[in-house]
Amino acid sequence: MTDRPALALRTRSSANLDPQKIIMVGILMLIVVAFTMATPKFLTYVNLVNVFMNIALILLTGSAATLLMIAGNFDLSVGSVVAFTGVMHALMSKYGVPTNISILLAALIGSLCGLINGTLVTRLKITPVIATLGMMYVARGGAFLVARADGGANIASGLPPDFQALGRATVGPVPIPLLLVALIVVIFAVIQNRTSFGRYAYAIGGNPVCAALSGVRSSRVVTILYVITGLLTGLSGAIFVSRIGTGVPRIGNGFEFDVIIAIVLGGTSIYGGIGSVTGTVIGALIVGFVANGLNLLDVQAFYQTVIKGFILVAAILLNRVIKEKVE
Amino acid sequence: MAETLIEIQGLTKNFPGVMALRDVSFSIARNTVHCIVGENGAGKSTLIKILTGAQRKTSGSVTYNGKDWDPRSTGEAMKAGMSVLFQELNVVDQLTVEQNLTLGKEKSRFGFERRNEAQFALTVEALRSLDPGIGLQERVGNLSVAQRQVIEIAKAISSNSDLIVMDEPTAAISDEEVKRLFAIIRQLHERNVTVIYITHRLTEIFDIGDIVTVLRDGQMIETRSVRELSASCSDDEVEACSELIRMMLGKVVAERYVPREPPSGDPILEFSNVSSAKLKDVSFELRRGEILGFYGLVGAGKTEIARAIYGLDAITGTMRVKGRPRVFKNPRAAISAGIAMVPEERRTEGLLTKLTIRENITIMDMKPIKRFGFLSRVKERQLARSFIERVRIATTGEEQNVAKLSGGNQQKVVLSKCLNAASSILLLDEPTRGIDVGAKEEIHSLIRQLADGGAGIIVFSSELPEILNLCDRIVLLYNGSVRKTLKNGAEMDSHLIMQIVTDSTGSDARAQAG
Repeated sequence: MTDRPALALRTRSSANLDPQKIIMVGILMLIVVAFTMATPKFLTYVNLVNVFMNIALILLTGSAATLLMIAGNFDLSVGSVVAFTGVMHALMSKYGVPTNISILLAALIGSLCGLINGTLVTRLKITPVIATLGMMYVARGGAFLVARADGGANIASGLPPDFQALGRATVGPVPIPLLLVALIVVIFAVIQNRTSFGRYAYAIGGNPVCAALSGVRSSRVVTILYVITGLLTGLSGAIFVSRIGTGVPRIGNGFEFDVIIAIVLGGTSIYGGIGSVTGTVIGALIVGFVANGLNLLDVQAFYQTVIKGFILVAAILLNRVIKEKVE
Repeated sequence: MAETLIEIQGLTKNFPGVMALRDVSFSIARNTVHCIVGENGAGKSTLIKILTGAQRKTSGSVTYNGKDWDPRSTGEAMKAGMSVLFQELNVVDQLTVEQNLTLGKEKSRFGFERRNEAQFALTVEALRSLDPGIGLQERVGNLSVAQRQVIEIAKAISSNSDLIVMDEPTAAISDEEVKRLFAIIRQLHERNVTVIYITHRLTEIFDIGDIVTVLRDGQMIETRSVRELSASCSDDEVEACSELIRMMLGKVVAERYVPREPPSGDPILEFSNVSSAKLKDVSFELRRGEILGFYGLVGAGKTEIARAIYGLDAITGTMRVKGRPRVFKNPRAAISAGIAMVPEERRTEGLLTKLTIRENITIMDMKPIKRFGFLSRVKERQLARSFIERVRIATTGEEQNVAKLSGGNQQKVVLSKCLNAASSILLLDEPTRGIDVGAKEEIHSLIRQLADGGAGIIVFSSELPEILNLCDRIVLLYNGSVRKTLKNGAEMDSHLIMQIVTDSTGSDARAQAG
């Protein structure tokens, strides 16, 4: 009868093991084994840290974006917001804002972008695709404009020495961003499973009419979800530029699709009402390992893009087949 | 009379647990307006669905144009010359009138639309003759309900329909439009089209009907010529309506109504002259421990009153909750004030169909299952189990998905959800619609228990027996306003109720007929 917090990480349907998740874990293990045998460069400390850092960025945004998708919404602007907040972080650091404060400000800028997305969707009733597509263009353009206003294509010079600390500092052998992301994932799994807010997300995505009649303030919940997604995206942006040590406005191109693919691979329905943060962890691992493995095997970037497209469609088909088999 | 178009012999339809039609026999003559009346659940829609291929009969025989008739789809019925004007009209709002008229009739050649010009000309001519005021390039979304009906009728005429079924066509249109519709129905007569006309407004029958069939509890009670019926009541329309009502109701008595102590004390909910888009000057009061019933036809304003209380529609006038004037901005505010609603549509409004019983029961109020601010799975399970026992939900357990439950058990989940919110005022919109008799009885006794426990309960129902069995007082609605409030009891006159809600009491009826 004890109610241990460890239970919080269990999936929603933990009572009867989710076949969808078992299959995804199987696929993940297959991928790892395949790449380990294909190239000796795969299972090395340097490579693994590199992969996990990429996965961490997907997960940082992805854990919040999972709840957003469960609530029947999604955010196409996260890639551009990563670039915009990253460039802003570089700019602020360059002009004397202490690095730590600048990181917080980047997160704040990200959450402002989220607030705009949320307001467009809930108050002005613009469909999420259009609202966040608008933000995607505005933020991307903004990133380039900021860099140009500073006088170059990138913000590379004049950055303080501790600018790269966030991206490169470690605790023992583990990079700090990984620890941060692990914490964020746990927090979102708890929000999803153990708070009324998380439950509201499922209700809104599953049946918005019933949710409203049951007293759920959908606009508020959805707006908050956009804000949180924006906040973590801003943090991702700061980590991103800190790792490469330069404010580059081109970063995060296609990041929104990596995030969405990870969430969908994890079994979250694009129509809302179904899904889990733990699923997204599995999805992000698959996305990260596939991209890294293909890089190590020197597969051309163009082919990689094609393969990603196949994976997304295959994942959705697989989800449907599994669901039909179960029912 | 003229030759027979449809001959129905011993028609029976079984649904699991319910016999919707039993041994129904009557015939429909060609080129008549044949009215079908009956209470909700009498079997009118089932009969129409079987005739037009939306459902299959269980046994019995039907002939159409002298041949055996058992259509497997609505498409087959349409090809054979039947058209149905459903309450939900089958037009596409985004398209123009012209596009709607040709919809489904396009012939394509190499993927390009090619319409049958001769056919189209016929349709346009039909539309012109019915209502010259409708422009072909207008968007259907901008037209009124009545105008959309006209489009459907034009389509039916031009496709050479022998038979047009109209299912409560006047429920949502204005008096002026009703007159126009009747003129059209008379035109149909000249075009040799037979009309099956389903209505709750009995006076209409005397305006346009040739024959009337009364159904009750799935059985055919009477088929009679309207003129004959009228004559037998010495052409007194009110008297003739009364006769129809008697046939429709049979002996409806509040057999299960137990007279309860008239609840005293101040009202916990009070409307004074409340109006909204669909309501006019509605006043009533609800007391603690009372079951108050709202009864009226489709479109009379039952659901609108529930929506007004629950903060879903803007209102003018005063609403008092526990003596204080209140206006709720949204359902959350109403729930916080101790009001909960069981909505009309169980699956689309009442349930989170992707979630479990447990998650559905707790969605309105999660305070009881929190520990240190977080949801406790253990507490939540216990709470769900206690409701499963208390309202007797037949299930494999609290983790079962609500979509897999039967209608009655789903409704019990919705009720549990409201009870969990510890509401002192419950709004129950059609609380037992479409559920089997056993579950219905259980839900009724639960409602009585709750009232005995001190809750104020409002039941909105289109089933008169339900209202009579449950409610202490009955508010009768017509066209968005309160016509009368009656106290329930042994001497309750169900006949009078039907007269009031069908607007067939004396002066009003004559005014409309004229």
